[in-house]
Amino acid sequence: MFNNDVRPILAKHCFKCHGPDDKARKAKLRLDQRDAARRGGRSKQPAIVPGHPEQSELIRRIFAEDEGEIMPPPTTKNPLTEEEKQILKRWIAAGAEYRQHWAFVPPKQVPLPKVKQTSWPRNPIDYFILARLEAEGLKPSPEADRYTLVRRLYLDLIGLPPTPEETEAFVNDKSPDAYEKLVDRLLASPHYGERWARRWLDLARYADTNGYEKDRPRSIWPYRDWVINALNADMPFDQFTIEQLAGDLLPGATEDQKIATGFHRNTMLNEEGGIDPLEYRFYAVVDRVAVTGTTWLGLTIGCAQCHTHKFDPILQREYYQFMAFLNNADEPVLPVHRPDITRQRQEIEKKIATRVADLPRHMDNFESKYRQWQEHEAARTVRWTVLRPTRVKANLPHLTVLDDASVFVSGDQSKSDTYDLSFHTDLRGITALRLEVLPDDRLPAEGPGRIYYEGPFGDFFLSEFRVMAGGKKLPVAKATHSFAAGKATADKAIDGDPQTGWSINGGQGRAHTAVFMLAEPLAEGKDLHVQMLFERYYAAGLGRFRISATTDTRPAVARDMPADVEDALLLPEEKRTHEQKQRLLQQFLMTAPELAKERAEIERLRKQMPAYPTTLILAERPPENPRPTFLHNRGEFLQPKERVEPNVFSVLPPLPKEAPRNRLGLARWLVSPENPLTGRVTMNRQWAAFFGRGIVPTLQDFGYQGEPPSHPELLDWLAVELVKQKWSIKKMHKLIVKSATYRQASRVTPELLAKDPHNVLLARGPRVRLEAELLRDAVLRSSGLLSEKIGGPSVFPPQPPGVTTEGAYGQLQWKVSEGPERYRRGLYTFSKRTAPFAMFATFDAPSGEVCVARREVSNTPLQALTLLNDPAFTEAAQALGRMMAARTGTVAERVDYLFRRCLTRPPSPEEKAQLVKFFQMQKHRCERKELDAAKIAGTDNGDVNERAAWTVLARILFNLDEAIVKD
Amino acid sequence: MYDIHEYARQITRRHFFRECGVGLGKIALAGLLTDAFAARSSALGTPTQPRSPTADPLAPRQPHFAPKAKRVIHLFMAGAPSQLDLFDYKPQLAKLEGKPLPPSIIGGQRYAFIRPDAAVLGPRFKFAKHGECGAELSEILPYLATVVDDICIVKSVHTDQFNHAPAQIFFNTGFAQPGRPSLGSWVLYGLGSLTRDLPAFVVMSTGSGISGGSANWSSGFLPTIYSGVRLRNQGDPILNVSSPPGVDPRLQRDSLDLIGSFNKRRLETEGDPEIATRIASYEMAFRLQTSAPELMDLRQETKATLEMYGADPDKPSFARACLLARRLIERGVRFVNIYHEGWDAHSDVSGNHKKNCGDTDRASAALVKDLKQRGLLDDTLVIWGGEFGRTPMVETNPALGRSLGRDHHPQAFTMWLAGGGVKAGLTYGATDELGFHVVENPVHVHDVQATILHLLGFDHEKLTYRHAGRDFRLTDVHGQVVMDLLA
Repeated sequence: MFNNDVRPILAKHCFKCHGPDDKARKAKLRLDQRDAARRGGRSKQPAIVPGHPEQSELIRRIFAEDEGEIMPPPTTKNPLTEEEKQILKRWIAAGAEYRQHWAFVPPKQVPLPKVKQTSWPRNPIDYFILARLEAEGLKPSPEADRYTLVRRLYLDLIGLPPTPEETEAFVNDKSPDAYEKLVDRLLASPHYGERWARRWLDLARYADTNGYEKDRPRSIWPYRDWVINALNADMPFDQFTIEQLAGDLLPGATEDQKIATGFHRNTMLNEEGGIDPLEYRFYAVVDRVAVTGTTWLGLTIGCAQCHTHKFDPILQREYYQFMAFLNNADEPVLPVHRPDITRQRQEIEKKIATRVADLPRHMDNFESKYRQWQEHEAARTVRWTVLRPTRVKANLPHLTVLDDASVFVSGDQSKSDTYDLSFHTDLRGITALRLEVLPDDRLPAEGPGRIYYEGPFGDFFLSEFRVMAGGKKLPVAKATHSFAAGKATADKAIDGDPQTGWSINGGQGRAHTAVFMLAEPLAEGKDLHVQMLFERYYAAGLGRFRISATTDTRPAVARDMPADVEDALLLPEEKRTHEQKQRLLQQFLMTAPELAKERAEIERLRKQMPAYPTTLILAERPPENPRPTFLHNRGEFLQPKERVEPNVFSVLPPLPKEAPRNRLGLARWLVSPENPLTGRVTMNRQWAAFFGRGIVPTLQDFGYQGEPPSHPELLDWLAVELVKQKWSIKKMHKLIVKSATYRQASRVTPELLAKDPHNVLLARGPRVRLEAELLRDAVLRSSGLLSEKIGGPSVFPPQPPGVTTEGAYGQLQWKVSEGPERYRRGLYTFSKRTAPFAMFATFDAPSGEVCVARREVSNTPLQALTLLNDPAFTEAAQALGRMMAARTGTVAERVDYLFRRCLTRPPSPEEKAQLVKFFQMQKHRCERKELDAAKIAGTDNGDVNERAAWTVLARILFNLDEAIVKD
Repeated sequence: MYDIHEYARQITRRHFFRECGVGLGKIALAGLLTDAFAARSSALGTPTQPRSPTADPLAPRQPHFAPKAKRVIHLFMAGAPSQLDLFDYKPQLAKLEGKPLPPSIIGGQRYAFIRPDAAVLGPRFKFAKHGECGAELSEILPYLATVVDDICIVKSVHTDQFNHAPAQIFFNTGFAQPGRPSLGSWVLYGLGSLTRDLPAFVVMSTGSGISGGSANWSSGFLPTIYSGVRLRNQGDPILNVSSPPGVDPRLQRDSLDLIGSFNKRRLETEGDPEIATRIASYEMAFRLQTSAPELMDLRQETKATLEMYGADPDKPSFARACLLARRLIERGVRFVNIYHEGWDAHSDVSGNHKKNCGDTDRASAALVKDLKQRGLLDDTLVIWGGEFGRTPMVETNPALGRSLGRDHHPQAFTMWLAGGGVKAGLTYGATDELGFHVVENPVHVHDVQATILHLLGFDHEKLTYRHAGRDFRLTDVHGQVVMDLLA
């Protein structure tokens, strides 16, 4: 009684002021816990006296007549109905028993219910469904015919309709296990992963752009391909979960496992000029918390961001404890080392090496020229001493001194970062300092800078470079650089204006130097400080650098010569190591003007070097630099309060003692058999994919406010079975499609429409409009255009011009893909968040801006216009027109074939006659030039009038309800 | 004049059976079709009552109380105009020009581009008082000056957001991240549509691009049928509204008849009400193919009207969009959003605003005038404004090639409203002598939203939708109706 009847009333009318939220609680009374309700609130009057409604304050107040007494207060405009009041009274009279909310109680498999129609059930699912139907006085529908079944199975399992040949193979297979064989074949199809990946990507809020104003493209499709592959391989759902939430934390994490962490890198990235990057990082973590809650727990924990949850037992503090798990990662870019690309790169490198080794042969008097060069360069090279910082400090970034005395920068960054470096050197008479900025493959675009949004990736902006000794600022006379981006020269770093500075855009991935010449030599270097300011309207710090000093009295300038080459030049030849000699030789060969022509060929080869695709991943922070998580007052970024440590919600089983308090611990906890939610939430989503409606219809909310399950015991049975089947999703899919429940015809009788309009009881099979991508996939397959290629970068199929440019701030020129790439499956279509692919948006596909557990299914005139008139569908109709015109046979035979291609089943004689008539009429109109056949059919060979008539007929079939709906 | 009730007459069941070739089927079928087609304003109660599965989501509905406004035209000045150079005249800024503001005023405010110690920039234009109300306007709004007695200027609007995309999304959806329903979607959800020949929530864009993207007119978690529909500047005004090349009207009609006849047979055998809805959708699509070109045909307008707006019938512009907005609401469209982007004057605020006023001032004023002379202003609410204001301080940065601009300023900005039950001739709210903070009658963005909903007959706390275990509303947990603005 409590869970079904009482809690919903209390949740709706009472918990807002007398529930789990201690900040919103009135009169110190809470009614969500039995003991507290028996104690009463400030008045000390027991709100509930079990068995005695007449002594219960709650009953007195809800039945009160006095405006000041009545509960809920009339001002809340949330009155109880008479029936609700009676329910509460009866409940207290019966002992006021509280029960844990069903979703928080671990699921169990109860014995299968007894049914009368024992011949109907095919597997356990059917017993639960039938028992309920019989209780409601309903009968299941007959099994659907074979054409319907084969279409349903294809669309559900691989998301594509069967070809006429595939259809006939099944329809004519009279073996008793024909159905099972088909199911197994579809489960093994590589298209299975594509179909099911798209649903998962809705939850993952996958998209190919960053979102917000600029909405620039990003590369994260390797994550999308990971999902497809994992589903095809039937990766157990527990492992599937762990790798996506914490793949980087697994011992010896593979590249694939790191790619999997892209799940939570699908958050948006605001690149608008002038934003506070830390604020949007915070929102991204907020999103990760909400998405984790929705995807695995089916809980709307987002509510607790701002205040303790009004309805569900989640405290605000617990929300931030949960956030702490997800808030301790850096967000690097991972190059994906595909073996085919590695092979190509090695081949080119080999060619380059051969050519470089060959270079000396192309120079006359090589030996003497090389010697002259060394002497000349050595004479003008200043001797630098690398200074190892004794102390490094920054406002926010984390500075680490590496073995080579360079400094690596990690952690968070702001729009104004200051690095403070202290040195202690015995050098006397320092005349200049050198700043080497160094590439590092951990940095964006390999550095040397840390710019990761808005500005040029891997660049930096050194606004000011200050030198101090003995507490005094030393004037810098001159600054030079080996490389600079336009006007952003090194001397801008000593002009005292923080709005100007040095940057190296265009020189990413290489080392550069700047030399700062002191106005006066520094007598003593025992207390030397360097302070660097990086200030821009985006975060623009340096990622790796090294400081050196010289006492040379010649004016030192920055040179485009690597520091180690300079070092080698200053050594007497006999003291140079083999490696140093090689470096010198390389430097000479790569700069000697006489070899320019030969080097051009080498450059050409370098440009051919294919880049590895990249993807976005999570990488746990190093233990020495954890990111603290705070409780934020009212959920506001600017109001952090006390620090919190990672933990799970108290209403759910605790984290095991030995579990690590990080994402890995969290992921394992989510898929532990003790977790009452994950199995139910997961199976409920699978169920909804097949039946168009979940056993719990609120797929994203299993909390108190969610709708209760229609078949609680079935849901629990499935949840337990999933774990028993070692989290195999394919086995569960097989179980579902083999059930008699699934195999029913979907006809809606007036009786069923009246009794069960939403088909909650499943007295019939599902009828659901195809999802946006599948609708397009189906038309492409029917028309023979579909490319069956799996995976790879996203593609740009045709769509009306202007969709991604007109009115879009972050404009994207939609350069339509060529050849088969025009006809890839929908999930490969480039997904732009602020201006989504028009056809998909029209058919309710999500934009990737938020996690979507359940897509809307709308039915609108704009959808009709799309299917009727969109150029992509016209192109498909023309392809079918071509195919039909080229096909032999009578018109009626070809109509039959066309019909099967689009709708799977053969047409009825009446339908066929109608279509033949339509074909003849349009062909006739074309022949009479009433219609411009060439315009309709497009240019191609063959009888244009025939092609046009077939084209318009194909267009009809694409638009039939039967083609749009899975039934 | 177009009669919005014409629709109801057209789509009687009898019309449908006659014109759409639907024979007399079973009683149940007829019932389903009626459900799918009928606009049942009386059968539906308050907007938040649960609706039956076959109910028409766009059927006209009554709001909570008698509305003042029945439709809305929102002129969204994206990029954020400078209130200090258009409406909120601050002579003190001219006196202080070149000097930094005291830190006590700036407080801890974060800025997008400038440093907090940036110097003050005086008003770039002359101001004068206009109309009987004596409202003060910049010289670059000469047309608005002619309707100043018909509008209500609010100088004390403030927002939480200081970046474009979040601030635009915040203004439109009450939340700074994408995912919630927009104002137009809430209005459609609450009021339904008065037309089936055009989309009921129409979005136009006449500038360089909208920072917040489609989240600004998204239906969020409301059913997607409540999303804004783009009226485009290129190609088809509504996506795919033209038949494919070579398909003449007769072929289109024949095709739809054949589709309809197949779908009708399907409905008879399968009995799913969704099929009836689909049949209706295809008929509406067909009508859209006629009504969209008719809408776009500005040659029907008099020369005087075109002249008043400054609209070239064939050239996309803000002026043409305003004229189309009037035509849209005449045809029963509920909510029109025109985005004019490009006000983001980080440099040369003077040149930028001269250009943008040149593009928008005349048509904005013409729209008010035109609605008034046609008797439409009384129940049409016109809103003009951006997502935030601009700083009293100058933005100058040689490294970025910027000079004499202004940065983003969330603390205070100006909007104006007209018609739809708003007090005409009122200037409301005030900022301090530097135009930095609101000092009188602050109006938060959530208050603007609450007030708009109030004018449309809604209690903003009651217009809710249950999603993910919570009743959401446009104003989140905030918002006060600004009673002072109501006529």
